[in-house]
Amino acid sequence: MDILVSSLFAGLLIGMVLAMMALGLTIIFGVMEIVNFAHGEFLMVGMYTGLLTAQATGMEPLLTLPVAAAAGFLLGIICYFGFIKFVIRGPMVAQLLGTFGLMIFLRNLALLFFGAEDRAIHQGILVGKSFDIGMGIIAPATKLAAAALSVIAFWVVWLVINRTKIGKALTATSLNAQGARYMGISTERMNALAWGIGGSTVTIAGALLVNFWSVNPFMGLLFTMIAFAIVALGGFGSVPGAFFAGLVVGVITEIPGIWDFLTYIFNFGWMADVPMTSLKYMWVYLAYFVIMIVRPRGLFGWKR
Amino acid sequence: MEALNSALDFSDFPRLDIIIAGALGGLLVIFPATPHSAFAMATMIQFLMFSLYGMGWNTIGGYGGQVDLGKAQYVGIGAFTTAVMMVRWDVPFWVSMPIGVCFAVVWSFIIGYPLFRLKGHYFAIATIATSLVLKDIFEVWDFVGAACGIEISPIKYNPPDFLHLIFKEDIYYYYVILGFFFLGILYVNWFRKSRLGFQLRSIKDNEEVAKSLGINVHWAKIKTYAIATSFVSVVGSFHACYIKNIEPEDTMSLDISILIALMAMLGGAGSLWGPIIGAGILIPLKSYLKEWLGARAGLIGIDLIVYGAIIMLVSAVEPRGIWGIVEKVRRRKRN
Repeated sequence: MDILVSSLFAGLLIGMVLAMMALGLTIIFGVMEIVNFAHGEFLMVGMYTGLLTAQATGMEPLLTLPVAAAAGFLLGIICYFGFIKFVIRGPMVAQLLGTFGLMIFLRNLALLFFGAEDRAIHQGILVGKSFDIGMGIIAPATKLAAAALSVIAFWVVWLVINRTKIGKALTATSLNAQGARYMGISTERMNALAWGIGGSTVTIAGALLVNFWSVNPFMGLLFTMIAFAIVALGGFGSVPGAFFAGLVVGVITEIPGIWDFLTYIFNFGWMADVPMTSLKYMWVYLAYFVIMIVRPRGLFGWKR
Repeated sequence: MEALNSALDFSDFPRLDIIIAGALGGLLVIFPATPHSAFAMATMIQFLMFSLYGMGWNTIGGYGGQVDLGKAQYVGIGAFTTAVMMVRWDVPFWVSMPIGVCFAVVWSFIIGYPLFRLKGHYFAIATIATSLVLKDIFEVWDFVGAACGIEISPIKYNPPDFLHLIFKEDIYYYYVILGFFFLGILYVNWFRKSRLGFQLRSIKDNEEVAKSLGINVHWAKIKTYAIATSFVSVVGSFHACYIKNIEPEDTMSLDISILIALMAMLGGAGSLWGPIIGAGILIPLKSYLKEWLGARAGLIGIDLIVYGAIIMLVSAVEPRGIWGIVEKVRRRKRN
């Protein structure tokens, strides 16, 4: 029982960070219907920013969030004006492959500068501490803090989108770009803003994730696919959908723990032989496939 | 017979194209007779393999406009079928290749049926997802060698072994794949003038209109997907015999799927010559960049940075590819 509860709890915690990561993708898709393959690489940029800032200044890793957010905002804006603006005029295949080119570019730039080895944070007030919550749950403090900060950041972005004028302009652009243009909204600026917000949310998630996850240049694709699965489940373009779908996908990534529990309960010999840990992320890809087939709109989606 | 005539009939191209294509084809045939390095030979084989992958992709992605980014899974199915059958039961290439195609086509029907209910981005990402699922399964499946892959040991055979396609010199492999290459061109030339080819182009232009004309859109897409699949699977089987050591990580990775689609797009998707032009530019570029830049110490990854930048440049500046530029120039001349 302990193992089930603690896997579920760990899944929910990581799910909150994953939801924060996918938020950027869903905002960008909602506003301009372009799929960003480089999303995982943006996350990697955030992780390296958090890590290097913390190491260079000796700052507490969790306090590097503003730096990471600024870096992500800048990255998003540069990508939009330098590249995406030109790609969206072309056919869909050009958009897909173009952002894929961006992904290869960023990944190998990171490889050139930072090398291929895994890097992780070793110092900081929360690193290495954990709380015993009871019921067998032992929560590492870094994960708890990351999850809590993700939820706060998510809530702030939600407020910006729903309660401010600029957020309403963003929503209007995503609902009907042409109509928004007639109403005097500069959709060009809104597109850039979507990329800026998208970039900064994902780098914030990266700076949170780096507290308990080591970073290397090749990690991006996995997180891109996780983000796709979350966005598909929540509905492309839906912000609240991304949050709940993030929690669900977080639990999906903990399937090996749940499988251990089932093996223990049912005690079939063959169940222990399934190499579940190696198949950990297959369930995420499979989830994307199944969601798209069964319910293409997602849980909260309004766009098809 | 009629199909053969149609396949051999290139008369709807301008005469200049036919002359250039014929000359280049002749050059390909006599290439091994010219002085060349072993590296150039390996690059040429890669070029021919990837042109075939591209031609397969072009049927569904170019003529049909369905952006498929999951072709690597069929490379894997073809390669692993051949490798496993050869290592475990000593089955010749010419037997295991059709069996691999059968497996690949069956799998393409199984996933194609639900996949083609999706459109655009959703379809593209879903094909990636299926490809990655299959790769993960192959990585833990002991029967096909799990993550270490499977190795065809050439010691057992007596090269040149034409039945098992085990050779010492690359020149044999070159001519085998060149034969497939010419067959592929003829097949696509037939395909683009066939009923299915016209149906697909109308689906690409406007799916609703195609439906209203009585075309079974879903079935036409699935059939073409199976055709594209068999192209890729045949070359996958060849890949197994040529490389001899296959792992899920190199044969089924997303990079292969993307490279296949990218070549067709760079050359010009939806035209007969497009994928070949794309492969002719991209494959030498990629391998020579790696040779020149990638090997230097301290510059790890710089070849792929250049490669990524080229992809970005092409998709931003000329997404219709090189063949698109050629056609634009021609149209301007005519007017």
